[in-house]
Amino acid sequence: MKTSKFWVFVFVGPSLFLLLIFSIVPIFASFLLSLTNFNVYALVDWSRARFIGLENFRDLFHDELFWKAFLNTFYCLSIALPVTTVLALLNAVLLNRKDTRMKNLFKVCFFLPFVTNTVAIAIVWSWIFNPRYGLMNWVLGLFGIRGPQWLSDPKWAMLAIIVFVVWRGLGYNTLLFLAGLQNIPQELYEAAELDGANAWQKFLYVTLPMLRPTTVFVTTMMIIGYLQLFEEPYMLTQGGPMNATLSIVLYLYRQGFKFFKLGYASSIAVVLFLLIISLTVLRLKLSRE
Amino acid sequence: MRKLMIFLYLFLFALVALSQQRVLQIWAMGEEAKKLNVMAEKFVQENPNVRVEIQAIPWSAAYDKLLTGIAGGQLPDLAQMGTTWMAPFGAIGAFEELTPYLAKSFIKKETFFDGSWQTVTMNGGVYGIPWYVDVRVMFYRTDILKEVGYERAPQTWDELYDVAKKLKARGEGYYALSLLFTGVFGNEFMPFVWQAGGKILDEKGNVRVTDPEFVEAITFYARFFWEGLAPTAGGNLFQDFAKGTVPIFFSGPWMVRMIDEQTPEVKGKWSVALMPKKVKRTSFVGGCNWVIFKNSKNKDLAWKFIEFMTRPENQIEWYRLVSNLPAVVEAWNFPELANDPMMKVFRAQLEDAMSPPNVPQWEEIATAISRRVEEVIFKRRTPQEAANMLKRDIEKIVRK
Repeated sequence: MKTSKFWVFVFVGPSLFLLLIFSIVPIFASFLLSLTNFNVYALVDWSRARFIGLENFRDLFHDELFWKAFLNTFYCLSIALPVTTVLALLNAVLLNRKDTRMKNLFKVCFFLPFVTNTVAIAIVWSWIFNPRYGLMNWVLGLFGIRGPQWLSDPKWAMLAIIVFVVWRGLGYNTLLFLAGLQNIPQELYEAAELDGANAWQKFLYVTLPMLRPTTVFVTTMMIIGYLQLFEEPYMLTQGGPMNATLSIVLYLYRQGFKFFKLGYASSIAVVLFLLIISLTVLRLKLSRE
Repeated sequence: MRKLMIFLYLFLFALVALSQQRVLQIWAMGEEAKKLNVMAEKFVQENPNVRVEIQAIPWSAAYDKLLTGIAGGQLPDLAQMGTTWMAPFGAIGAFEELTPYLAKSFIKKETFFDGSWQTVTMNGGVYGIPWYVDVRVMFYRTDILKEVGYERAPQTWDELYDVAKKLKARGEGYYALSLLFTGVFGNEFMPFVWQAGGKILDEKGNVRVTDPEFVEAITFYARFFWEGLAPTAGGNLFQDFAKGTVPIFFSGPWMVRMIDEQTPEVKGKWSVALMPKKVKRTSFVGGCNWVIFKNSKNKDLAWKFIEFMTRPENQIEWYRLVSNLPAVVEAWNFPELANDPMMKVFRAQLEDAMSPPNVPQWEEIATAISRRVEEVIFKRRTPQEAANMLKRDIEKIVRK
């Protein structure tokens, strides 16, 4: 027994150690930092930072831009989450059909955006969204629609980001759903067919209930992911215009790494952390009932 | 055996020579880092027992690298420093104060342009020496302005507004000038404030953004967007300039070469001009300075290198290498600068150019300014309201 424990630590130890150094310790450090006024001056001389209790959180509560970022992030989540889920499920169902041809080609196409470098994609998308020379408005123009000034109009910018985010997240979630679909035993469908169920009924009463663990996983991961929206607005708009695409993490980045108010930035991180934890717990609770 | 002896002898000799050699470590960024070795070789010829080590840092990583370097005490002797970074790093106390060095050197305040010298001074101390400058001027299409009746560039605010109206009147899809309206555009906006005679902070540290001059600048800037004279749809600067849909923009010397490279078809159809005048024609001056780090062990050597780079013949040499404009006034007497019609404009603009206040919170202030001006551009607030809000924002930032 003793030796087995020893061997467990030999194998798990290195990764546990890395996890400790790069995840656990920083989490506690940022909790501590959030209670200080740690700024650029304190970076050289730690003694210049003071503990200021919950002052950062009080400031944050009155910070107009933080609330703006908060609302923007939830706006993105509330649209991107259902849209990605439905589209990914649809894609997966189509890919799972027996008579779909060139399945692998489609799988690759769906999955490519996920593995491609975000920076490279963002540059391409900034061109797609270019109102005068971009693909998006050209296509809309074919249907006689005059497209908006996507990234420079405060009303449309966040929607443009959401389009980008959904497109990017689609492949990964399609693959997860596909894996879930393939785990459903074929007998269930056969039984349903014997009972005279049509395709829609099979989907509703066999596929969906059987996919439930996958759906819970997918949506939970999406909540966690979308709440940390950062790269897309950072690359495409830097939070503008009029802070319409400022997300919580982008605001954190701005405070922490542009203004070097690391204490304040940490308090944003703590709030985000609590937000993600509580939403995740809520999501898992809902699925259990 | 004899061969071995010779080898050992040579080895010892090399060891002794190396140990006497002093190493000067320099951090440089971007294009500068690639070409700096040419200057370094020249420097070594003059100072044979010195070795210069240049570490290239990409601009995108430079801020973090400097900051972690300062936090960890891992710094070179000397570094190239963007003018807007002088204050944040200077405030931390990373740079050597240079007044004692200046006392026994040919380098003086008057060696450089005023606006450029402004970027190295903080709280009465001197924390760097200007290396090269970027100054913004007006780029415009001569042929298109001629079409609307302007034989020369607009000289005043009124003329700029007038020509803008006429350029817009050419039809749908035509604009007059390109201005930034999103992101952080303090560098683009501030010249208008200075031209109107306004300022952000006065000598006593009072916030002066509610002064009529500042409000006037906001109004002037935003009006180009309200009336559709400046596009809010992000096009492409080069394409728009070449097509003539946006025939005016404000930018720095690097654009001269870039326009020639990107859109050779408009060669000879464009020129540069001084900033338009309200009460002044002030522009923004940036560029890079040299700084010596406080914990350097080769400060004398680093200073020697700065002196070397400041000599007019080396300033012009550097201009030949990468087209960076000399910060040293005397270097502008060399024929390739003195006789170039475009460079003459830059030279004249340098006489009337300023840099933002050297305060460590500049980045935060610039972000606040951009945010409020943007709200005016999108008509969420009147210029006066925005200025009042901005005053509160900046006071909060400076107080901390």
